[in-house]
Amino acid sequence: MLSGIAWSAPEDYNFSEESKLYTKIADIKLNTTRGEVMLSDLYVKSPVILTLIFTRCVGICSPFLNSLSEDMDNLNAKENYKVLVISFDPLDEVSDMERMAKRYEREDDPQWVFAVTDNIAELNESIGFYPVWDSTRQQYDHDALLVGINENGYIVRKLTGIRGPDALMGVIREINNEFVLSYPLPRENMIFSCFTYDPATGKKKPSLGLLILVLPGILTLLMIALLSLKKQQQSVGNG
Amino acid sequence: MVNGQAGKINPKFREFNYGLSSGKVCLITDAGRRQFHYNKSNEMREHAILLTIFLVAATAISLFFFFIYRSSLPEDGKGMVNAGKKRLFFALILASVLIILLTVTLPKSPYFLFADETPAKVVYVAARQYSYTMSYQAIDPKSAGRSDTIELPVNQPVEFRVTSFDVNHGFSIYNDRAELVTQTQAMPGYVNRLRWVFTEPGTYNVLCLEYCGVGHPIMRTSFTVK
Amino acid sequence: MITRSLKRITSVWIITVLVLFVTAIIFGITMRFNQGKDLTMSPVGFYSLMTTHGITMIGIWAAAGLVAVNYLLGRYVKVSVSLNVFAFVTTVIGVLMIWATTFIGKYHAGWTFLYPLPLQVAWAKWATPVFLFGLGILGAGWLIWSVGMLLQILSKYSLKQAFAWQHFSKNPAVETPPLVLISTVSLIGIIVSLLTAVILLVLYFLEYFSGGNFTNDPLLMKNLTYFFGHTIANESLYLGLAAVYELMPESSGRPRFKTTWYVALAWNCTLVFILTAFFHHLYMDFVQPVGFQMIGQLASYFASLPAAAVTAFSVIALVYRGRIRWSLTNTLFFIGIMGWLIGGIGAVIDATVSNNMILHNTLWVPAHFHTYNAMGNVLFCLAFFNWVAHEFAGTQASVKSFRLTTVLLLIGGFGFVLMFYLGGAYSMPRRFSVYPQEFTHAAILASLGAWFATVYLVAIVLIFANIIKKCLKVFSPSFSS
Ligand code: HEM
Ligand SMILES: [Cu+2]
Repeated sequence: MLSGIAWSAPEDYNFSEESKLYTKIADIKLNTTRGEVMLSDLYVKSPVILTLIFTRCVGICSPFLNSLSEDMDNLNAKENYKVLVISFDPLDEVSDMERMAKRYEREDDPQWVFAVTDNIAELNESIGFYPVWDSTRQQYDHDALLVGINENGYIVRKLTGIRGPDALMGVIREINNEFVLSYPLPRENMIFSCFTYDPATGKKKPSLGLLILVLPGILTLLMIALLSLKKQQQSVGNG
Repeated sequence: MVNGQAGKINPKFREFNYGLSSGKVCLITDAGRRQFHYNKSNEMREHAILLTIFLVAATAISLFFFFIYRSSLPEDGKGMVNAGKKRLFFALILASVLIILLTVTLPKSPYFLFADETPAKVVYVAARQYSYTMSYQAIDPKSAGRSDTIELPVNQPVEFRVTSFDVNHGFSIYNDRAELVTQTQAMPGYVNRLRWVFTEPGTYNVLCLEYCGVGHPIMRTSFTVK
Repeated sequence: MITRSLKRITSVWIITVLVLFVTAIIFGITMRFNQGKDLTMSPVGFYSLMTTHGITMIGIWAAAGLVAVNYLLGRYVKVSVSLNVFAFVTTVIGVLMIWATTFIGKYHAGWTFLYPLPLQVAWAKWATPVFLFGLGILGAGWLIWSVGMLLQILSKYSLKQAFAWQHFSKNPAVETPPLVLISTVSLIGIIVSLLTAVILLVLYFLEYFSGGNFTNDPLLMKNLTYFFGHTIANESLYLGLAAVYELMPESSGRPRFKTTWYVALAWNCTLVFILTAFFHHLYMDFVQPVGFQMIGQLASYFASLPAAAVTAFSVIALVYRGRIRWSLTNTLFFIGIMGWLIGGIGAVIDATVSNNMILHNTLWVPAHFHTYNAMGNVLFCLAFFNWVAHEFAGTQASVKSFRLTTVLLLIGGFGFVLMFYLGGAYSMPRRFSVYPQEFTHAAILASLGAWFATVYLVAIVLIFANIIKKCLKVFSPSFSS
């Protein structure tokens, strides 16, 4: 092969992020730390970022929630949204969730909702989230997952893994019905790209490639400036 | 942009007049789900209108030049009186026309189409020399090849996520009268999201409108709208 | 100073350009007949020919503009003939290399060689580097030539004067001739676009020789490609307009055009618009930021304002009740301005994003650019050729004998492009060697287009015949400047 044209997906590209998009999330009853609500009561008021965890988790759940909580503070986004943390473990009780809310100092934060539900299977199925019980480790094997739900209850964006504030802001914008026209696929060995989408501002950030695009103009300007400077000096010398 | 208020639609999109035709799109909120209504048969009219505008303008210019040419032939040779004033007048009229056209057409750009709607279906498209893979699932380039038979709902927004696995291609959708309905480019390394509402059921053909090599004119696929 | 050697090299250029033009038209007609199913070529043959036709046409008319400007600048500044000759040599080498890749190597990535198509080798392996290299040689020659001309302008005029900025104040001390102003603006555009080509080629070679360790961004490459391609094609036209400003009044026996504040303003604005209008080539690339798309439409629209209100209006004001002595020279200028405006209408329609969605890469695109090339810029350059040929021969342009030529030109040229417009409005794709059967009228339109183009070709040959003998005069031993 002469070049690296063929686009290759890196090993860790997670195609499950693209599943169940634009389908409606199951409208289930939630037992939150502040009482019972339907999921739809939440999202009609404001779009929701949903995450699924379990309190006994010794793996990814707590670093995941940690970074989510921190990122949310740092982002300080003005958009309208709620963060909904649901346990997918049938053994978890509302009291476990209360303890968890306290651990992240979110027990009084109206933007955060912690809940358990009796209909977790239905919810998992509607999202395409499939944790597996590992009986030797006494733990669930599962992805760290964020689901963006718009005010009509549709799944508009999913993120897997711990992804940082930029990706998070992308979800917040999209659940607020901002349409991002395009997204890049992960590529290798590409240095000179024009833009990177910056979800924090909703704009495309110019990167190195853009400099290359304006380079011819700059070079020409420089050349002309130099030439006329030189000429001025000459004419001063002559006169 | 709609600033996150649930259930609110930007009034700009409530009544959407696209292209130069009068084909109207009305978005009506209906139990949290939007329904669409178009006047029938906008595409046909739109193409014809553009052609007519062009032909009328071109004919006018030709006649005008003929008239100017004729005026140059005989006797007087007085030239144009008050040329400066006429020029200013002409420039002002032209500038106003341009500004009006700009303000009318810019908001109708496809980038803003159905931006705050939730598509009823999403279709993944991967182009390559010289075929398309279309699927309801994201397409893994390593195992690509299997295409789904695509059926899309009529009068509901759908989204295409279009990319290419080799060179630049086009993704241009034609209705069964061979009229270009909408399009986007398939660029390697990027996914372009094209949203559209099909108002007529039928078979739609996809052609490649970016030159991609010798197979370019035979590169195609199709889907149905029901 | 217009020296004998300048006349000689100009004459060589004119003959070369016209020979290549006739050849490239024949390629074009062949393609159109193939689309009309009157001929059957292999797809590879078609696309090699398309690549050759595109690059040759773009090349010769950019060169013709540079040749005209170089010659006419000789009236105002000291011009270098050796740079001109040097550029001719690099052009010949470049063209030979490129033709070798398309005809022998069967290279067929299109004249825009859009990344990464040239690297997806479907032809002789050597053809890709040779094509890119040939383009590089040609571009480097022109770059040096253009910079040289700009230098020559700046050695007589200050930068401000070259841009005619002194005309913004009352009673300027020095008048910048319109030709100098337009040449400055257009040469800068040409230089920018050639530098872009250089960068594009460097990026190509980096990837080509990196063995997969370096990959380019397709978005950046596409922007660079059209920044180069769009800009060079447009600036060629402006070079042609420089000749219109200089020679239209002269060949009509009318007082020459003067630079005024609005002429200065128009051309300064044009420089800016032309350098940002290329974004309209990427309207359907949704990955491009929407802001750029808006700039693209704005720049495309407003580029038409100075063009129509200043240049076209000036020509019209000159002709209107002007008791003009019509010759082939000013007739070609006059028709060229008309073709340019008509092509401009087609361009503005397509440069509207909401229309572009149904016109992008349909036959509407070759429709409008053939209008302002074949019926615009080409005629400007031919008018210059005709004028200069008479100057070489020391003859007066005759008033008779061009009626037939004009009529053939008008019928053939506009008929040819009309078939493209009809195809575009009916959604027929461009760059299709044959049309799918659902486009029921595509083949008929193509056939008709080819026949009209043949009529156009006859007119061109008539003009060619008229010019060539006079051009050869400069080589006779008795010729004195
Ligand atoms: C009457 C003379 C001409 C004929 C018959 C002709 C014919 C054609 C045809 C059939 C095509 C392919 C159209 C398609 O996309 O399907 C084409 C493309 C093109 N022509 Fe011409 N043409 C003529 C004059 C010119 C002139 C004067 C120029 C000057 C710049 C020009 C520049 C081009 C370019 C740049 C392309 C695009 C090639 C590509 O798509 O890569 N042509 N022409
Ligand atoms: Cu193609």
